Amino acid sequence: MYRYLILFLALSANAHQMSPTYPELKSSYLEGLSVTRVRVFNKRKDVEYYQIGVFDKDMKPIPFVSQYDLRGIKYHNYAEFTIYINDKYKKDAVYICSESMLTNVESSAVASKICSKIK
Amino acid sequence: MIKEIALIGIVAITTYGGSKSAFALDVPISAEVTGSCVISVETNGTYGQPNAYKLSTSSSDGGQQPITRVDVTLANAYKVKFTAPDSFSSSPVLNDVVTFTGDTEVSAVSDATNMADYETDKVEVDMSDEYSLTATGSTWFKHSSTASNGGDRAFPSGNYTAYVVAECIAI
Repeated sequence: MYRYLILFLALSANAHQMSPTYPELKSSYLEGLSVTRVRVFNKRKDVEYYQIGVFDKDMKPIPFVSQYDLRGIKYHNYAEFTIYINDKYKKDAVYICSESMLTNVESSAVASKICSKIK
Repeated sequence: MIKEIALIGIVAITTYGGSKSAFALDVPISAEVTGSCVISVETNGTYGQPNAYKLSTSSSDGGQQPITRVDVTLANAYKVKFTAPDSFSSSPVLNDVVTFTGDTEVSAVSDATNMADYETDKVEVDMSDEYSLTATGSTWFKHSSTASNGGDRAFPSGNYTAYVVAECIAI
């Protein structure tokens, strides 16, 4: 008889948090670019990297600029992402999402994604 | 004489005032309260194997259903969507088509009055279950998943992993 021990989810009390719920795009010091900031808190021991993205109402990606779109966040640490969006995409940008990057899928099996809505 | 008394008074007031500001410190405690969504993995999940060609998280099949918790600090600001796995993220080489089924249901709530309708109001589309989070607080969700190997042929030996996608989306 085959014997399997298959991890499906692992580690209790792991959390991924993102705020604010409704970030506001403001004019930046760079002409033609608007800027906003979101903060991601990593309370997942099993996740070291988070990816940020900007999306339209249908969750299709919108071009943006950030110092990091994929960023390592240590356990129990915050990271702030500053996101610049070209004004020509501003009206289409609806969501800013952070997504956990599962690098160790043998010990973790929940991909968490949190999306804030641009004001 | 009058000038001296006035001068002493001014000095006394100044000194008192100076002493007061030296000993009374305003210690600021600041906070910026913004709404947020938190997704937590509460309970590990495992597949059990009731027979050679089926893997299941059901306890009756020897598995364990994973539980996630979602906390929101704003009412009517988020929806949460869970998508059950429709493939393995890692597995041995499989020569047969594997059929997945999956479901999510509310297992507990922090506000029984305002969250009572979460389960009945959920929207199910294919492998996804979507809930509108109309109240602040915590909601626990229990997920189930089964994988059946095609032709009732036995799964090859090895480690299998699949994952649920939990999304919390501001509305």
